[in-house]
Amino acid sequence: MDSNSQNKQVQGAELNLEVLYRAFHFSPNAKQESAIRHLDGPLYLAAGPGSGKTRVLLWRTLNLIVFHGVKPEEIFLATFTEKAAQQLSEGLRSLLGMATNLTGQPYDITQMYIGTVHSLCQRILTDRRRFAPDRQRSRPPKLLDELGQYFHLARNRTWSRFTALFGDVENANEAINSLFQTPSKSKHAAVTNLISFFNRFSEELVDPSLALERLSANDKAVSQFLKAQGIATSEMEMALRLYQIYLETLNDSAALPLTDFALLQKEAFGLLAESEIARNVFKHVIVDEYQDTNTIQERIFFQLAQGSGNLCVVGDDDQALYRFRGATVENFVEFPVRCQASLKVKPTRIDLDTNYRSQNRIVDFYRQFMDLEDWSRADGAGGEYRVSEKKIEAYRASTEPAVVATTPGKPDDIYPEIVRLCKELLAKGKVEDPNQIAFLFPSMKSQGQMAIQVERMKRALEEAGLPVYAPRAGRFLEVDEAYDIFGLFVQVFGRPTRGEFLGRDYSNFMDWLDQIEQQGRNLLKADPQLKQFVEDRQKELERVGNDYKTLMAVCAENRWEQAQPYDLNLMKRPLYAAPGLSDEGKRLLGSRYLDLLVEERIERGNPFSLDYIVKRTTSLDWNVLDLFYRFCGFEYFKKMFDAAEQGQDEGPMSNLGLITQYLARFVDEYRTPVITANLLLEDRLFQRVFFMLFLYSLYRLGEAEFEDVEDPFPKGRIPFLTIHQAKGLEFPVVILPNPRKNVRPPGRVEVMVRPFLQREEGEPLDRMSVFDIMRMFYVALSRAKNLLVIAHLKGPGQSMNEPFKQLLNEDEMLRVPDFDLDTVPQYRHVENELPRAYSFTSDFLAYRKCARQYMVFNRYGFVPSRSQTMLFGSLVHRTLEDLHHELIRRREALSR
Amino acid sequence: MTIGDFPNSGDGFEIEAFLREVFEQNYELLKLEAGTALAPEVRETAWQQVLLYWRKMRGVAETVTDAEVPLSLPGAVSPAGRHYTVEGVVDIVRDDNRTIMYDIKTHDADVVRANPDIYMRQLNVYAHIWQELRGQVLDEAGIICTDFPAFVKEALESRDPEQLTRALGEWQPLIEVAYNPGSIDVTMQEFGEVVDAIEAGEFAPPDLSVLQEQLGTSTQRFATRVCRNCDARFSCGAYRQYARHGRGQIEKNFRQYFGELVGGGEEATWLTAGLDEAADATDLRADVG
Repeated sequence: MDSNSQNKQVQGAELNLEVLYRAFHFSPNAKQESAIRHLDGPLYLAAGPGSGKTRVLLWRTLNLIVFHGVKPEEIFLATFTEKAAQQLSEGLRSLLGMATNLTGQPYDITQMYIGTVHSLCQRILTDRRRFAPDRQRSRPPKLLDELGQYFHLARNRTWSRFTALFGDVENANEAINSLFQTPSKSKHAAVTNLISFFNRFSEELVDPSLALERLSANDKAVSQFLKAQGIATSEMEMALRLYQIYLETLNDSAALPLTDFALLQKEAFGLLAESEIARNVFKHVIVDEYQDTNTIQERIFFQLAQGSGNLCVVGDDDQALYRFRGATVENFVEFPVRCQASLKVKPTRIDLDTNYRSQNRIVDFYRQFMDLEDWSRADGAGGEYRVSEKKIEAYRASTEPAVVATTPGKPDDIYPEIVRLCKELLAKGKVEDPNQIAFLFPSMKSQGQMAIQVERMKRALEEAGLPVYAPRAGRFLEVDEAYDIFGLFVQVFGRPTRGEFLGRDYSNFMDWLDQIEQQGRNLLKADPQLKQFVEDRQKELERVGNDYKTLMAVCAENRWEQAQPYDLNLMKRPLYAAPGLSDEGKRLLGSRYLDLLVEERIERGNPFSLDYIVKRTTSLDWNVLDLFYRFCGFEYFKKMFDAAEQGQDEGPMSNLGLITQYLARFVDEYRTPVITANLLLEDRLFQRVFFMLFLYSLYRLGEAEFEDVEDPFPKGRIPFLTIHQAKGLEFPVVILPNPRKNVRPPGRVEVMVRPFLQREEGEPLDRMSVFDIMRMFYVALSRAKNLLVIAHLKGPGQSMNEPFKQLLNEDEMLRVPDFDLDTVPQYRHVENELPRAYSFTSDFLAYRKCARQYMVFNRYGFVPSRSQTMLFGSLVHRTLEDLHHELIRRREALSR
Repeated sequence: MTIGDFPNSGDGFEIEAFLREVFEQNYELLKLEAGTALAPEVRETAWQQVLLYWRKMRGVAETVTDAEVPLSLPGAVSPAGRHYTVEGVVDIVRDDNRTIMYDIKTHDADVVRANPDIYMRQLNVYAHIWQELRGQVLDEAGIICTDFPAFVKEALESRDPEQLTRALGEWQPLIEVAYNPGSIDVTMQEFGEVVDAIEAGEFAPPDLSVLQEQLGTSTQRFATRVCRNCDARFSCGAYRQYARHGRGQIEKNFRQYFGELVGGGEEATWLTAGLDEAADATDLRADVG
């Protein structure tokens, strides 16, 4: 060791938490401090909004690693979204990096389990070394994401297995939908109904065979419950049998076994439960956003903490939003009881209840809001369906007004007030950019269309020259850029004809096709070069089509079968000489490269079929992604790229990036890296799959709750978000144009799963909806830093939820027209407090190579068609890493 | 064409089977993580790089003692005052009394040799982290480039085992780097400037003159090596200028410009790889029902 690092070691001996706090300009409050220093036994952190909980988690982890000898690989740190996981890992790396500088001691967190619950489960399943050293190497299943699960079910070869259960196959979709009380003949509805049913049952660890046994044995509890809820036993039985079939379809494909997000966790739990070793792998299990856990996840966490007893959970039951995904907020509310039962200890509870985000008045307002609801337990056991005795307080002492309502009235009358306020906020420099004013809505859509209030608000802003960025508001396919790009696709491939009336979705989609077709036409009219380009592509389609017919005619004439091997000597000449074969076709068929390839395959006893050769000669030399990138070269689109290069309007680029992701998905899902002429000709299969299967599915799936929105938001635009999308974010100004969400009866799936729960029942079915709505608005209200604006809807047909009515009708409620903006603090954006990590290769060198390429593929996430990307590098590197590990393993095995 | 078809034997063969399997698995996992797929042709190139690394660099691969070691240099401050952390990954070979650091790149060795400065300086930053922050001695450092040159690709496509053996013999993917701590300040200054530019949203493409430059010893220009492989070139002002007025180029009309694909043999490999993956009519017919 050289003298330099010895010096550092000496410093290390004197290093303590305070020194590190100072280095990071962090002065924790007393409760934060005791949470950070807590070491042994379970810890229950009830954290209000803006109370610095992520920071506390990071410092606590640092304390364990740096001052208490816990190795990073002995820590399991989980959260629920990719974005949150990335923040945790970047934050920890930079804290530890600073500690390294002071101690000379490196901390390598690559072996640490830090990430989303899903990704950690996936890792557990493949980490045989630590969890199942005696197990045979098995191929991990292929994970279907949400869209992948949809396509898996909707595929005819899967779907026919479900419908075969019904005597009347013709009406099977309707029968499936009626199980879920959604009368409809739509297959799409049936698929989405089944997905939510399957996932819910998987998350609750329901074994369909056991459940069916209980049904057939006339289990009293089950049958009474079903009867009370008006569910016929035969219906329940049918649903469970469908679930059984689903599980079969995942495992019987000849290729890789498949799994979905819910089942992946179930598999991980299975492995943990049967392994004695697994319970001692981690010394600390830490879970952020614990109110979002579902049953299977709770089991996993307790299982992992069995050995150490160190389970730390952080959360806010008031911000629980994910019931639709199986999250059960009771897991957090009841944590002390569950902990006692599972780990045999009572957890230490610490409340992180100082809010550093919002103005005092805002905190007061949302605290009052929550207190207006009755949360008391109905079962007579006392207590509440809410963590008791907590009180969030603002750190900021200012009593300046910060919550303001519009004049009571109809949207058309009061939205202009909001628009004027926004203009004034910008003019007076209260915000630096429109992207600092967030409009939050309970939902952006209504029956698949952009909700009327959203539409009205958007129009009002845009008419005043304030552009809006609404990530997946309404349908993604309804953003301008989708009209443009897909409109041009229609021009190239031709549009599917309108069939007979097949329901509202179908006719809406057909209307959409009309509209994009029109937009495509407009674009061609405006740019003669683009028109020329599209005509050239049409001619190509025509050419490969004609060549295909020509070659097929030669085959027929010679009575060659398509499946028979391609015989160079016999077939090449007649095919080549076919009258009418285009020059391009001749070039492809006559290529020396192809001849070599053909001979090569014959030598290896695996000759090409005639069919392959015909396809090869009549393929387009571009696919849908290639076409997209060429369209981008025309002035209309190029302007969008130019604006982004200069850091101006980023909205269109974000949307174009998303379009490439969907196009890549299409290529992958329907295996169309090359478009062959036979697919274009035979029943126009390609066009039908692209428009009527792929785009139509996307159209019907709509937004499908897309949470991980990009933050920061594009400059120059006002973000329109669902409250779900805004979770975990904060904004200087938050506006609620529609403080209304209707109370609904409990979802059918929620009811169906109840008699089979492997745990205590949670909140009563009839109160769930009210509680969920309260929590949702709480999230919305607590996003605001300096100003919160609420539309006071009143008048015929207008309504707001009860707590808003009470609070907004109070006399002292401040109104927008009377509001003096000068009292609002000026917001100055400060960079993310935690330093960002930049990779030498994938950031620095990539940017230096070409800043624009870096922007397109790195910042906006465009999926390339032909260029190499990060994914390429990761694939090579990870495989070489595996190679090296394997070689190390073999050497060690030999030396033993 | 897949090179996995070439004859091989012994434990090398067994490793190749292992490689193929983990390659496919990694692809499935990464595809999911990234939310994107690779075009079949690109995926095939990745596989070729992996396989040829093993065949060519087996001597190094079999001595690696620490694989994919993450390095991080925290506490850096950019000229504009932004705090950031530099990260990198290396492989380490330790034998009895020596430690060697390797930086594996999926680049072409020619590109690295053409820009020796920047890549050497990168490795110097890594060496600095290793020696100074970790207090561990380093004896040697080198860059391994897994992207193979054109003559190796030709040998692969010739499907002639002897030619391939010859080509692999000639290929020099390893570049040794001397440790020069003096370069670190310059490197960090530049790194900080890039961080500021990214955060400030500066993304203009390089000037036309850069596109016209030849890359080091290679006869290829930036526009050929970088832009021709970039899908975003059609909408790029600099590339458009190059394509229309570039040195020695007659003015291209826009039809050629937009019709231009990856030329020559590459188009054929694209087609081969794509057709291997492509659905046939029966598949799609089953889908549309």
